[in-house]
Amino acid sequence: MSLGWRIRVVFIVSPFIPLNYCRLAKTTGLAGALAVGLVKPGAVEIDFNRDIRPVLSGNCFQCHGPDAAKRKAGLRLDTRKGAIEARDGVRAIDPARLAKSELLARITATDPDTRMPPPEANSRLAPEQVKLLSAWVKAGGEYDRHWAFNQPVRRPLPGLAPERRAWAKNAVDVFVAAKLAEAGVDPSPEAAKATLLRRVSLDLVGLPPSPEQIAAFVNDSSADAFEKVVDNLLQSPHYGERWGRHWLDAARYADSDGYSHDAARSMWPYRDWVISAVNSDLSFDQFIVEQLAGDLLPDATLAQRVATGFHRNTQINTEGGVDKEQFRIDSIFDRLVTTGEVMFGLTLGCAQCHEHKYDPVSQTEYYQLFAFFNNADEPRIEAPTPVVTARRAEHNARVRQLEAKLKSLTKEDAGRKSVEVSLAKLKKARPSAATTLVMARRKEPRTTRRFVQGDFTRPAETVQPGTPASLHPLAKPTPDRLDFARWVAARDNPLLARVTVNRTWQHLFGRGIVETENDFGSQGIPPTHPKLLDWLAVEFMENGWSLKQIHRLIVTSATYRQASSVRRADLDQLDPHNRLLARQSRFRLDAELIRDMALVSSGLLSAKMGGPGVFPPQPDGCMDLGQHRKTWKASSGEDRFRRAAYTYRWRNTPHPALKVFDAPDGLATCTRRIRSNTPLQALTLMNDPAFVELSIGLARRLMAEAESSANRIRLGFQLCLGREPDAEELRLITELVAGQQTEFAAQTAEAKAVVSKASSLGQAGKPAGSDAALAAWTMASRVLLNLDETITRE
Amino acid sequence: MMDALKASQAQQAMDLQQVTRRHFFSQCSMGLGSIALGSLLGDGLVKAASVNPFQPGKPHFAPKAKNVIYMFMAGGPSQLELYDWKPELARRTGGDIPEEFIKGKRFAFMNSSFKDQKKLLGPVKKFHQHGQGGMWFSENIPHIGGIADEMTMFRTCKTNLFNHAPAKLFMNTGTGVFGRPSMGSWVTYGIGSESQSLPGFVVLHSGPRGPRGGAANWGSGFLPTTYQGVPLRGSGDPILNLANPAGVNRQRQRASIDTINKLNLKRLVATGDPEINTRIASYEMAYRMQASAPELIDISGESKATLDLYGIERGKPSFANNSLLARRLVQRGTRFVQLYHTNWDSHGGPGETLNKDFDKVTHDVDRASAALVKDLKAHGMLDDTLVIWGGEFGRTPMSEARQTAGRNHHIDAFTMWMAGGGIKPGNIVGETDEFGFGAIDQECHVHDLHATVLHLLGLDHERLTFRTQGRDYRLTDIHGKLIEDALA
Repeated sequence: MSLGWRIRVVFIVSPFIPLNYCRLAKTTGLAGALAVGLVKPGAVEIDFNRDIRPVLSGNCFQCHGPDAAKRKAGLRLDTRKGAIEARDGVRAIDPARLAKSELLARITATDPDTRMPPPEANSRLAPEQVKLLSAWVKAGGEYDRHWAFNQPVRRPLPGLAPERRAWAKNAVDVFVAAKLAEAGVDPSPEAAKATLLRRVSLDLVGLPPSPEQIAAFVNDSSADAFEKVVDNLLQSPHYGERWGRHWLDAARYADSDGYSHDAARSMWPYRDWVISAVNSDLSFDQFIVEQLAGDLLPDATLAQRVATGFHRNTQINTEGGVDKEQFRIDSIFDRLVTTGEVMFGLTLGCAQCHEHKYDPVSQTEYYQLFAFFNNADEPRIEAPTPVVTARRAEHNARVRQLEAKLKSLTKEDAGRKSVEVSLAKLKKARPSAATTLVMARRKEPRTTRRFVQGDFTRPAETVQPGTPASLHPLAKPTPDRLDFARWVAARDNPLLARVTVNRTWQHLFGRGIVETENDFGSQGIPPTHPKLLDWLAVEFMENGWSLKQIHRLIVTSATYRQASSVRRADLDQLDPHNRLLARQSRFRLDAELIRDMALVSSGLLSAKMGGPGVFPPQPDGCMDLGQHRKTWKASSGEDRFRRAAYTYRWRNTPHPALKVFDAPDGLATCTRRIRSNTPLQALTLMNDPAFVELSIGLARRLMAEAESSANRIRLGFQLCLGREPDAEELRLITELVAGQQTEFAAQTAEAKAVVSKASSLGQAGKPAGSDAALAAWTMASRVLLNLDETITRE
Repeated sequence: MMDALKASQAQQAMDLQQVTRRHFFSQCSMGLGSIALGSLLGDGLVKAASVNPFQPGKPHFAPKAKNVIYMFMAGGPSQLELYDWKPELARRTGGDIPEEFIKGKRFAFMNSSFKDQKKLLGPVKKFHQHGQGGMWFSENIPHIGGIADEMTMFRTCKTNLFNHAPAKLFMNTGTGVFGRPSMGSWVTYGIGSESQSLPGFVVLHSGPRGPRGGAANWGSGFLPTTYQGVPLRGSGDPILNLANPAGVNRQRQRASIDTINKLNLKRLVATGDPEINTRIASYEMAYRMQASAPELIDISGESKATLDLYGIERGKPSFANNSLLARRLVQRGTRFVQLYHTNWDSHGGPGETLNKDFDKVTHDVDRASAALVKDLKAHGMLDDTLVIWGGEFGRTPMSEARQTAGRNHHIDAFTMWMAGGGIKPGNIVGETDEFGFGAIDQECHVHDLHATVLHLLGLDHERLTFRTQGRDYRLTDIHGKLIEDALA
């Protein structure tokens, strides 16, 4: 097959792009992929991992799987060795006489006493599953290692018909197009430019584009107009706030201890570390190493120690009468669950109490992993910001100055006393620094034992630190937590890159290539595009584990740029869940972005980054739901209008406007947010004083920046939806404003009541004109902020 | 009022169809021409008026109970001062509990006030017999004693965790692991809710403080947040953000929602995304909620006899007031109501004595707990409403060394009761040993209680599952057996 198809060069090297992007241009994209050559997809035959393993895992492994304790009849079907072993002369799979294999007899038996799975099991094989298993056994009953435990390899790009080739912009599209071709489905057209810009801005930085940015992009007809936009977004500091927040979900970050007392904790230096690491595109393997064991790195920097806060985001139970050891161990259990789901896509937690029922992780191996975390101390350290460090240096200099002066004075000197007093006073005024929770090596190592049924009061044999045999080896006689961290982030870890690019994909398409983003094990749902997943994983690792490069690759693909409209006519039956990717997805914004969206459109957003959590307004009484009635004093000034990523997060009494839109509460790791759609969300957007305040802010802005009613509405649409209204939309809002203004003119008290709710906005920007006009435009702005399209990324 | 509501809903549905019709014709040029209007309206794309996230679901089998009111006694009520009369314990006050009872057992406060604590403490309260079967109740709860013939008392409840916050989580979610759904979430996920204008799972609070652990106790875990408990607030708006902003009257809110929904409907037609349907329905339900929640908490129409039955002082937030609201919620179709009342902790220290403080908390709840059962019965609602009463654990037969004699947390045996909704009346399940330390007959583990509650609602605890992380999760995890002796 010829390689001579015309492909757009997707990676433009721009003088404004930092060096690591240039590296990308040389080694990635289609050029690299094409060099490997193109092959046609092979003939369809039984694929053990795709067709057989899910059936065995879902129906058989519970009793005939890795867990020896629960194994029935001594039969094990998760390995070929177990399946062909003779027990009382009977073999589940008999290689010598395949058609006489016991497995066949059992799954087709009509007698309930011999039939498998047995009637009391909650599973039953569907006829086509029986057919599949039979065909597989008769063909030899060969096993294949579960796909996720094999190293990802970059496979040749599939071949494509010319018209599909023409659609592809990069390698991502070639894999997607091949799948679409198999199904005989065409991709959707590219989204309207304004939609595309809003989508990519919300996805990459979590903020909508300004009307000026929209106009500039729509009017930029250069071939690389979109790539330029993407590069700018990737360099925006807001990128770290957006993608850092995704990571903070996984890290179960919050600003309090949880459990009973839910005391406040200072943890924001870790949050800021994440945002800054994401912004600087710290290579992802290093990002992982520093969070698991930054404290053990040679000459660890303060930042690297702060990074270990990742596993200090566990809850701490300080209620009376607790056994501290119990909760210390509970936090380690939590660390293993989190590490498993976030870095391996494995449900390691299952092996806490027994052998894993589906995946090759034994209970002993679980406690070998446990041992890495068991030998850490959990201190709190000062984490001075650069500003504080500078102030401290200045302070030290002044102390030295005074000390020198004191030295120069004799005891009899008249001024000595006052210098002494000043020095004492100065010493007390040392600039304070925020603290943060970190991990540190323990001087006296603990002995780790396996706990019978995961119960820490039942310690069994001693185990040494180690890693599961089914994964890549850790070749060190006495490995410590740093060795473990490097093992997790190793190039030969088959899972870390895969789960990471998969989560990235999930954030950009609403669903991962592996839909069960936290379970790549045999019970997980197999990838829709396995070769694409592996291609991306290899690409990611070979390009310095740069997340920005993966983002750039994916968002510049034709697949990403498609329109998101539902194709009821041709895909309603064929692909209702959009697994083929014949369109983009349309989904509601994350909780934080809904507030940020309103802050941006009203022009009130503060660009200030980092620092302690802030307190945007929330209704009274929300802090009463925990054991202690805490206070929530709304921030004033700039801090009132910060991005929601900086909102203070109490675990027991989460901010209601974040909670109602499914923000996780930091109680456990969260690798995918649910997107609910409820009446309480409607009440929040319509009536929450914080949103009403922003509606007034938006109304003021519309009135200040546009004269005519139509132009105000146009501006409002641009600010909230990133597009022009059509005639009917214009008419609907015009009618609302006109009607409301007439009513408010007659109901002056009500008009005054509406506009008075914006005292926090100050007098600046308050438009001339009547209260009735501002109140009417507030009603219109409130409608705009409530639209489904406003809180949705299309 | 209900008729007016229905009429307004019907009007809404018609408006929506009209707008759809208009869009269909105005947008033919945008590629929608190929879709017949009939199919837009007929095949379910536009069905906003009927979309309800709490759509009642089908139970697995015919249910005995339709609704649940769960009175959660936060802090761990002492069964030995309430329900489990132990004359032998009284006789042996001051003596040591035999070693075999406590060997290898772990308790809270083992490093402080409960170190080497073996001294038995007899019942601090007097007990009396009630009902036809002569069930024992302490002098502190005569009203609850008065409904002895309605209830099954579970004397051998058992849980796994002995600190408050983890134990509350365990009682609500069946595990001490965070991130799992609470019972109310499971139930509304399983069978939805009848109400079109109130949340399906509502949580109320009374007492000096909120429950330890906060929102996790009524959280929906890995289930959609649609199913999480909605706190009904004691002051201000009964539901958060229920009231319109100042200056926005009901007509103005209606005009705004109309505009929002018309614009959303246009987007629905343009994108075909069924989520917009749900969004439109959510705004309609929010609007209805704005009318029905104030009506719910307005008890001015309740008779003086009813208020006296519960012991309600008008305008004063209380457990009694919440109990009446629970009845009103269930009357209006809410599926699962949970009333938290603090504080039952009784270690013997200040604010936690078995004398004055215990008397206060029993006084807070006794009359109203009984009144709720009687009132439900009077309204013909007890048959299909399951009432549950109990805390996260019980108290030790041994005393704790604080300022006064108190009791420590105890997980091996404690008492809960249920009434109505298919529960056998005048019944006792389980028996404890002479000290009330552990079960000697029919242990009722939290998992078993959960399995039984689900059963009464027509749900098989092994079949009510949600798949996440590669396996089907249940409220009862891999445990739970139906307590047949409790069924009517």
